[in-house]
Amino acid sequence: MKDTIRKELDKLHAMGAHYVDARWYPREDSNFLFMWNGNLKENSFSSQTGLGVRVLYNGAWGFSASSDLSNPDAIFGKAFENARIASERVTFPVRLAEKEAITDSFTSPNEIDPFSIGLDQKVAFLQKMDVALNQAGVVQRASSMKFVRKQIVFMDSEGSEIEKNIIEVYPSLQVRGIDKDGGMQARDYLPGRTGPTRGWESLDEKLFLENADRIVRELNQLLVADDAPNGKMSVILLPDIMYLQTHETIGHALELDRILGYELSFAGGSFVRLEDFGKLHYGSDKLTVRADALVPNSPGSFGYDDDGVPAQDNLLIDKGLLVGAITGRQMAEEANAKAKKRIFEGSSGANRATSFYRVPMERMTNINVDPGTDGNLDDIIAKTEYGVVMDGDKSWSIGSNREQFHFACHIGWLVENGEKKGVVKNPTYRGETVPFYNSLSAVGDESTWHVHYVDNCGKGAPNQIMQLGHGVPVCRFDDVQVGE
Amino acid sequence: MNQVIELLKTLREAALERNLKAFISYHEEDSYLMRFANSAISLNTNEHLIRLNFTAFDGHKRASFEMIVDPKDLDGMRQALDRLAEMLPHAQPLTYEPTFPVYERDVVDTRAYDPALAALSNEERLAYFNTLAEGLESDDVKLSGIFANGVTTTAQISTASEHTQFFRSTDAQITAVLSSESLKWEVNAEQSAQKKSDLNAKALHEDLALLVSHYQHDQAVQLPVGKYTVVFGPAAIAELTEMMGFYGMHGAALKQGFSFLKEEDRGKLAFSPKIQLADDPNQVELFAQEADAFGRLRKTFSLVKDGIFQNFVWDQDSADEFGETATGHDVMHFSLTMDGGDSPIATLKELLEMPREQDILYIPYIHYMNVVNPTQGMITGSSRFGALYLKKDGSVQVPFNVRLTQRFQDFFGEGVEWLSKKQVVYNTSNSYGQRNPNALKCPRFICVKDIEISHSNPSY
Repeated sequence: MKDTIRKELDKLHAMGAHYVDARWYPREDSNFLFMWNGNLKENSFSSQTGLGVRVLYNGAWGFSASSDLSNPDAIFGKAFENARIASERVTFPVRLAEKEAITDSFTSPNEIDPFSIGLDQKVAFLQKMDVALNQAGVVQRASSMKFVRKQIVFMDSEGSEIEKNIIEVYPSLQVRGIDKDGGMQARDYLPGRTGPTRGWESLDEKLFLENADRIVRELNQLLVADDAPNGKMSVILLPDIMYLQTHETIGHALELDRILGYELSFAGGSFVRLEDFGKLHYGSDKLTVRADALVPNSPGSFGYDDDGVPAQDNLLIDKGLLVGAITGRQMAEEANAKAKKRIFEGSSGANRATSFYRVPMERMTNINVDPGTDGNLDDIIAKTEYGVVMDGDKSWSIGSNREQFHFACHIGWLVENGEKKGVVKNPTYRGETVPFYNSLSAVGDESTWHVHYVDNCGKGAPNQIMQLGHGVPVCRFDDVQVGE
Repeated sequence: MNQVIELLKTLREAALERNLKAFISYHEEDSYLMRFANSAISLNTNEHLIRLNFTAFDGHKRASFEMIVDPKDLDGMRQALDRLAEMLPHAQPLTYEPTFPVYERDVVDTRAYDPALAALSNEERLAYFNTLAEGLESDDVKLSGIFANGVTTTAQISTASEHTQFFRSTDAQITAVLSSESLKWEVNAEQSAQKKSDLNAKALHEDLALLVSHYQHDQAVQLPVGKYTVVFGPAAIAELTEMMGFYGMHGAALKQGFSFLKEEDRGKLAFSPKIQLADDPNQVELFAQEADAFGRLRKTFSLVKDGIFQNFVWDQDSADEFGETATGHDVMHFSLTMDGGDSPIATLKELLEMPREQDILYIPYIHYMNVVNPTQGMITGSSRFGALYLKKDGSVQVPFNVRLTQRFQDFFGEGVEWLSKKQVVYNTSNSYGQRNPNALKCPRFICVKDIEISHSNPSY
């Protein structure tokens, strides 16, 4: 197949294509198990194979993909034809930032391939979790695990040939109960990525059982809790909501395709403008954010992106100042040209596609907030006059330019005069992005920081779901609107 | 069709050879999407994908295998059945026995298939967009959007009989956005099509021209937070209705405790008496199917009649688990229709020109809607794509986007003042997974009083 792809790449290049690449998935497997109240509702395995081809012709992109591999020439031909018609409406011809031709491979760090583990052992793990969650107060309990194994061969007309073999494990637990007012309450657990690898060995049974007990305990506290207060106050965000705050209002806002208007018909734009780089005080000087695709144990680390550019660790926000964006080859070039200055030194290696049948675009890698120097959670609470500690991603809604947001959390703890009081239910908060991050007044140290995986980030048309990560500490923001 | 049926029958034989009690489904998509950004075609793509799903049953045990596959790779399909046969004995028994699909008749439903739309060319997609944007673009005002169309073929068989079900439909979903690069405002117009003759680029051009004119010439305002009389457009109505159906009217949601409607709400006034809502499999333009995956012929299913909540829908698996009767809703999508009312207002131009005794906020689209509190039916989202503030003195202002955090029953309850008589089809498809054309039919406008605006942007 590789020989066929190489011949087709050369052929289209000779026909006038400026650039061509192909992603061949010899195999992508996934295995999903979902247990609900003791019933194994999902016990499924899936596999896919196919080829996706991208062609740049006269400044425009065409793409074609098929699971029918009996005639690869037809897939390449359709991609070329799609690019040819696209070139009839070009306003800014696509140019690609320079990169080196690379021949290499990447294998995600794993000790035990989860596909080598028998179904009995996987079901036994879920049953153990189900028993642990089946306690007083819990009316719905769910445990799940998803395993993914993919082999991707990337080849392009510039001479690159990269093979990636990636394994991911996505487990979760959740409990639900009915509170004193008849409302549904929930707590969940998605393990932080603590070890150096991401195979079956990353499922730490002891840790899961400890957290099963914790979420049941917290659920029972929620069932008798009063509602969170309304008004302006401090909010202390634990990592299981801080990751989402970062994702929605830093990550998406700094995707360069959004900034340049390439997502306006669906996901939206960004309040950030090209002239903001190097000038905009996105947050207080306690805020340092990076796109780090080198975190070993996260799905946001992938060796090479789908432009064939090596994964990198890049600063996005340096002590509050906006300095970088999430970029691929096309957008970096276009931004520099439109800004009439060199803002970006080439691609940041963040152009990714979710499958062989989708086209790559700017996606988050691991968008991480650096740990701070304000101690652990207790230290931060001790220096908080009035506010709510919040955790858990119940709902999220963000303005189309990521300029404002509303989040609802699963649980809150009232803080008064430096002391953590009781649990409060239905906590929500909202704000405007830049004022909010400029109200960042405390950032927890390394002990509060962990990597949270995301396996459901949606974007693009045709739509794509992407996997990534966020390493975040505990953060406190002041004068935030809580409630509503 | 014959090739698909032949493949299913071959796979059925292979399942029987392995002593599997199996359900086999086929999904084929031929998808095209032309994407526009910055007044250019930013991507032109097509995908041809074939998916097979095998589900095996053994008493209380169930396992499934899905594959995106080369249609000629019969060996790979047989290996999938081998794998399924290995998985099934290790499946943990369910506490209930899942129903196995048994087809007693052949079903062929191609009502929603239009050969002309299936054959739409790249040149025609481009010409459509050139027409809808003609004369509206400038150095500052840029065109974005998608023209997505395709053919979806699904088919099913089980080892219980040789009968098969076959469905084929065509669909198109068009979204066109005009936005100001300097000011960051954005307006849009959309269309759903099931057949080529549904396509009407000039209608989109008229709406876009009207909105662009207001956004370029009328005063922009930050609205004070508080209560407003709001007219919602079809995008907002359809998305709210679809989300309300999911969180309020599914039996599984009821049993799992996150439905805002309860068992005791059946037969009671839960919404405005002006609201009628049904799932209607006769609506071809909603890509409806005449039978569900268990072979049940589908009938019109009333959800809300004169504001009274009628019944929950039950898919087969939830019905099996909770001892209920399935209602024919094991389909890829429902075909929801909300009846029109008695208002003659049928176009945006008519809405703008209608005499008004109060200020009216027009919200065509709610961006990033999410459920804040499912048991209260509380959602939040922001206005987007062409909101207007219609002053009672006849003038029009352009409001910066606002946030609303309200209950479903605030949108469809006693606050409903009027509904347009005219109904429109709104396409709610997404392409996150397999192609699944989905649309609702709803009134062109619904006017609701006392909608609370909780946040108002200071700029675009």
